[in-house]
Amino acid sequence: MIQVSHLTKRFGGIQAVSDLSFSVAEGEIVGFLGPNGAGKSTTMNIITGCLEATDGTVTVGGLDSRSHPEEVRRLIGYLPEQPPLYPDQTVEEYLDFVYRLKKCTLNKREHLGSIASSTGITDVTGRLIRNLSKGYRQRVGLAQALIGDPKVLILDEPTVGLDPKQIIEIRDLIRDLGKTHTVILSSHILPEVQEVCGRVIVIHQGVMAADGTTEELSRRMTGSVQLEMMIEGDRNRVLCVLRAVPGVAEVSVLTADDTKSTYRITAEPDADIRHAVFESLSQNSLAILSMKQVEASLEDIFLKLTDADTPAQTETDEIPEESESEKSKHRRLFRKRGERK
Amino acid sequence: MIAICRHDFQRFFRSPLGYVYLGVFAVIANLVYFAYCVLSSSSDLSSPFSFLLTVLLFMTPILTMRLLSEEYRQGTDRLLLTAPVRIWEIVLGKFFAALGAIVCCLLITVPWLIILICAGTPAWPTIIGCYIAILCASMVFLAIGLFLSSVTESQLIAAVLSFAVFLGLYLVDALSAAASGTLASILSWFSIFTRYDTFMSAQFSFSNVVYFLSLTVLFLFFTARVLERRRQ
Repeated sequence: MIQVSHLTKRFGGIQAVSDLSFSVAEGEIVGFLGPNGAGKSTTMNIITGCLEATDGTVTVGGLDSRSHPEEVRRLIGYLPEQPPLYPDQTVEEYLDFVYRLKKCTLNKREHLGSIASSTGITDVTGRLIRNLSKGYRQRVGLAQALIGDPKVLILDEPTVGLDPKQIIEIRDLIRDLGKTHTVILSSHILPEVQEVCGRVIVIHQGVMAADGTTEELSRRMTGSVQLEMMIEGDRNRVLCVLRAVPGVAEVSVLTADDTKSTYRITAEPDADIRHAVFESLSQNSLAILSMKQVEASLEDIFLKLTDADTPAQTETDEIPEESESEKSKHRRLFRKRGERK
Repeated sequence: MIAICRHDFQRFFRSPLGYVYLGVFAVIANLVYFAYCVLSSSSDLSSPFSFLLTVLLFMTPILTMRLLSEEYRQGTDRLLLTAPVRIWEIVLGKFFAALGAIVCCLLITVPWLIILICAGTPAWPTIIGCYIAILCASMVFLAIGLFLSSVTESQLIAAVLSFAVFLGLYLVDALSAAASGTLASILSWFSIFTRYDTFMSAQFSFSNVVYFLSLTVLFLFFTARVLERRRQ
């Protein structure tokens, strides 16, 4: 459905996107992942025709965006980072304007009615956009993107600034839309991408860092199995025992306690160490309180990918505490999916 | 194009601005008419109309300042740029919306004609000349204002720039009166006001219409170029 090849975009001397190529099949939900300023929005703006590429081509539905700009734009519904709303209009007037602007030929009343009900804004159609909450504005923005029944939806950070309940609602809505549309959404919130998208494209500093399904990526990144265990007993003794187990590459202490501590055990590639660890611990009468096999979460992948590319991580160096707590927060969010017991 | 035109025209009257604008214009225009025509029992509309040009000089920037600057600021230019419309449709849509507002203002002068028909002998060539002149001049002002609105995200800057340019045009007029020789003829060729006065004196000149129209088209073209530049 969407074919991007060798896309390059320069703003003056700044290379925002360089030589980016990927394709999106019909019906796919693809997540663009990357830190702020990675080139996600720029790429999206180029696909939607809001910006022109310095180099490279974009084809949507088989049409080149340079030679058929209007036809391509007709195929795309776009929700920019800041929803393009006129605060002094009512929702109804606004949707009516967008309907006319997009030269839509579908039955207006039916079309707008079904969009309003699917985005959940039927109750607020008579209200001024200025008076709407952020969640509703985002929905109106999404409704705007859906007008004209475009085959492709491009959503730039659709859940930014929403409260958790709204995030879940918008996510469900996007998942629903994904059944009938090709969707590209960008985010720097990892759980979101992992929840909604079948496939993830990681962009970092304008370059593609990874492309694949969430499972593929985590398999690729974790060449070796990691265990997270809570073990009762003296820490030094436990460490000695664990390090002596054949197949264990590395052991680190996650949380230390007088009686029980949590350890992260990394196995050597392609080794299943669970049996061996259990046996040597039981031989030494060390009680296993819990044992979990850890898969690399998308977050780990992300940090690994982006760290590898940037030797000098100035941004994280400046605020180590905050990024550390961010990491652990995300890890917690990831537990549900990313780990197997 | 029609969608954008309609939208912008309606937006003008959705805020109090539109009504304040019309009200202020009505008060000034009718005072001028009263002073020039009613009090002096004159049927000559060219004097109130030449004063109206000065009024428009100050009022068009207020009309045009928000046309594109506000879109940039709200991020709604994205909506326009990603809609299946051409750049010139956006520019013309905005231009005609503003022109519609000016036409609404000019409708205030229709009662003058009725008074003239009832109470005097209207000089139709002069009157038609007046209307053509004020439309032509406001088209140029609107196009310049729209262009200046397209170069900045701030409405205030757009308005101030427009005032500055219009005052500059006014000065060109004054200079051409003060200068002599070739300079004077060049300056008066450029002067919008000299050409405006020609219309007022009921001399229809095709070259003047072409001058006004081409100036309008030139600035609309510049606006389209600026919008295209924003894509790069």
